[in-house]
Amino acid sequence: MKKPILILIWSSVAMLGALALGTIALHRGEQINAMWLVVAAFCAYALGYRFYSKFVSAKVLALDARRATPAERLEDGRDFVPTNKWVVFGHHFAAIAGPGPLVGPVLAAQFGYLPGTLYILAGAVFAGCVQDFVILLFSVRRDGKSLTEMARDEIGIVGGFVAYVAVISIIVILLGAGALIVVNALKSSPWGVFTIAMTMPIAVLMGFYLRHLRPGKVLEVSVLGFILVMFAIWGGQWVSQTPAVAPWFTLTASTLAIVIIIYGFFASALPVWLLLAPRDYLSTFVKLGTIGLLAVGIIVLRPTLHMPPLTRFIDGSGPIFAGSIFPFAFITIACGAISGFHSLISSGTTPKLIRREPETRMVGYGAMMAESMVAIMAVIAACVLQPGTYFAINSPAGVVGLSPEAASATISSWGFPVSAAGMHALAQAVGEQTLFNRTGGAPAFAVGMAHIFSSSLGGQAVMAIWYHFAIMFEALFILTVLDAGTRVGRFMVQDALGHIWKPLGRTSWYPSILATSALIVAAWGSFLWQGVKDPLGGINSLWPLFGICNQLLATVALCVATTIIVKMGKARYSAVTLVPLSWLVAVTFTASWHKMFDPNPRVGFLAHARSLASSAAPSHEISRLVFNDRLDAVVTGALVCMVALILLESTFLWMRVLSGGMQARVREAPFVATRFAAEEQG
Amino acid sequence: MKRSRPWPNERSTAESCSAGRTPASIPTWFVGAMALLFSALREIFDESAYSRFLARHEMRSCPDAYAVFLREQENLKARRAKCC
Repeated sequence: MKKPILILIWSSVAMLGALALGTIALHRGEQINAMWLVVAAFCAYALGYRFYSKFVSAKVLALDARRATPAERLEDGRDFVPTNKWVVFGHHFAAIAGPGPLVGPVLAAQFGYLPGTLYILAGAVFAGCVQDFVILLFSVRRDGKSLTEMARDEIGIVGGFVAYVAVISIIVILLGAGALIVVNALKSSPWGVFTIAMTMPIAVLMGFYLRHLRPGKVLEVSVLGFILVMFAIWGGQWVSQTPAVAPWFTLTASTLAIVIIIYGFFASALPVWLLLAPRDYLSTFVKLGTIGLLAVGIIVLRPTLHMPPLTRFIDGSGPIFAGSIFPFAFITIACGAISGFHSLISSGTTPKLIRREPETRMVGYGAMMAESMVAIMAVIAACVLQPGTYFAINSPAGVVGLSPEAASATISSWGFPVSAAGMHALAQAVGEQTLFNRTGGAPAFAVGMAHIFSSSLGGQAVMAIWYHFAIMFEALFILTVLDAGTRVGRFMVQDALGHIWKPLGRTSWYPSILATSALIVAAWGSFLWQGVKDPLGGINSLWPLFGICNQLLATVALCVATTIIVKMGKARYSAVTLVPLSWLVAVTFTASWHKMFDPNPRVGFLAHARSLASSAAPSHEISRLVFNDRLDAVVTGALVCMVALILLESTFLWMRVLSGGMQARVREAPFVATRFAAEEQG
Repeated sequence: MKRSRPWPNERSTAESCSAGRTPASIPTWFVGAMALLFSALREIFDESAYSRFLARHEMRSCPDAYAVFLREQENLKARRAKCC
């Protein structure tokens, strides 16, 4: 295409994006249509991909189309397989898309739709996409090495150790927070519990079909499983309305927590692949289908946002989680803007599938843009709700009051009108007994999604089906993350213990399997139990802790990336990773400081422990809550200290390289010319 | 006007006949896009991995072969974290 036409097209995209962003940012006192968010996102991603990622790939990384990737050089048909770039893109997106970009933005909507939207867009374009892209490329140039291996090779032993501890910590806290979201979504909900319980026999049936009737036909059996799950959702309605059966599936939060902890242990310790592998496929199928459906629903229905752009809670007095907009909005959103966890995927399976080096741009940068779009959809799903309804669902009883009337009065007094009768009618419409105090983000997202879909597809009559479909989707998704994460954590602990005593490292030795499974389950189970028993809802403590961990892991990934860029002799371009790194350091260190030492008991762990100790009569329950708060403070402090260590080690290394005191030597695999370039020319 | 060579997306008569399952009214780009989408789904759902496994071991698909494939996958997948 001719240059003037291109200039015209891109200028139009920039102007449209500016108009959409201006509308989002400057409208006050009137509701806007969700399409403005979609348009702003598309324009920001298009410009970011076309110009910024091109600059990074050309100037900073110098992508080389002549260089063979490990998928080509080490091709073995198993781990290393040169694969079409669109196929790798789909594979990578399916791997990075988790519950984080759905839950985080829903919780951060307590500040209004504006802060979350702006951070998701800017964070993704300048930080998250860049992190995923550079880590993917650096792993490709190192034969698909993992983040911890690259940290050890390029920074030093401290870097490798800190990366390892950060990965274990994030897994444990993620699993605790994820399990709490499931508990809060399913407690006192016979419909939801029945649907999730039914996914187990359905998965076993899928496993039998796959193994004996149609070996390897996973897509086919996933469609079958999906149809059966839809029947289970329909059957759940009957269960919830049948007094003789409903009590079997009506579980308290504590009972659900115990069930999930036991499930996690068996999923990790026993060879139950007949159940887990098919359920993993089913979860992926439902996940991709639901994300696609939600995107179509938003574009076709173009709902109106009822949440204001900014709420009064930017001052830190929010009911869902306490803390001011900086740094807590950025800690809470996490995965939609930048996620440290993605660096594990970018240095895991994906680099072993990349066929040509320039394709890392589309896969790494592009897939994160798609993930960020999912986060924008979550903002929309939360903000289409009336603010009073949103706060009634997400606020814990400890903040708004136990009874529906008290909660409604408290929320209405904030300027977000809601009535107990209205909430009761909504709960009836979605087939629940109550929607008050359903903290965790999942129920609010489910109500928002049901609201969007029921506007056209089936109307109010099927709102309950849509709601339970969304709940099933999130719970299934999180439980899959839970069993996979527990096994990964077990393997990591076994690998480490194997250095101390070899039998402990043997993944087939049952005493070691049982002991390490119990260790990992006890670790995340204690966070889950703490959340269930927390009068402030648990999410108030756990989600920020998870966000801090996740962003600290991103800090480690950006330290590795900056170190490699400096060693490549491209220090003049190091701002590409150094600026997001500085931002993350500012955000995570400030948030950690607040979580440990803030005098407000709703924010600071230690202040909360002090207030509990001084205000209540000593009891076993209070002692445990105090202990939990102190433990959270110690975990946060330990993580921050370790990341500070890796930062210091990296900074000394950069200074030595830049001052000429150290010879810069990157640990890349030697250059081998690709045969694909010649084939394409031929 | 005569064209010296076919357009890149133009297929010969023989090719069109051999792809008899594709009705002529469906645009080529759409068929290509669907094929790509299906390939991505096959990769995500491990169907391609199973095909590669069968090719590598020169086996035909059967319950026993799938059981061996699952055992091989078990070790790989168990070490692969799912993202948040």
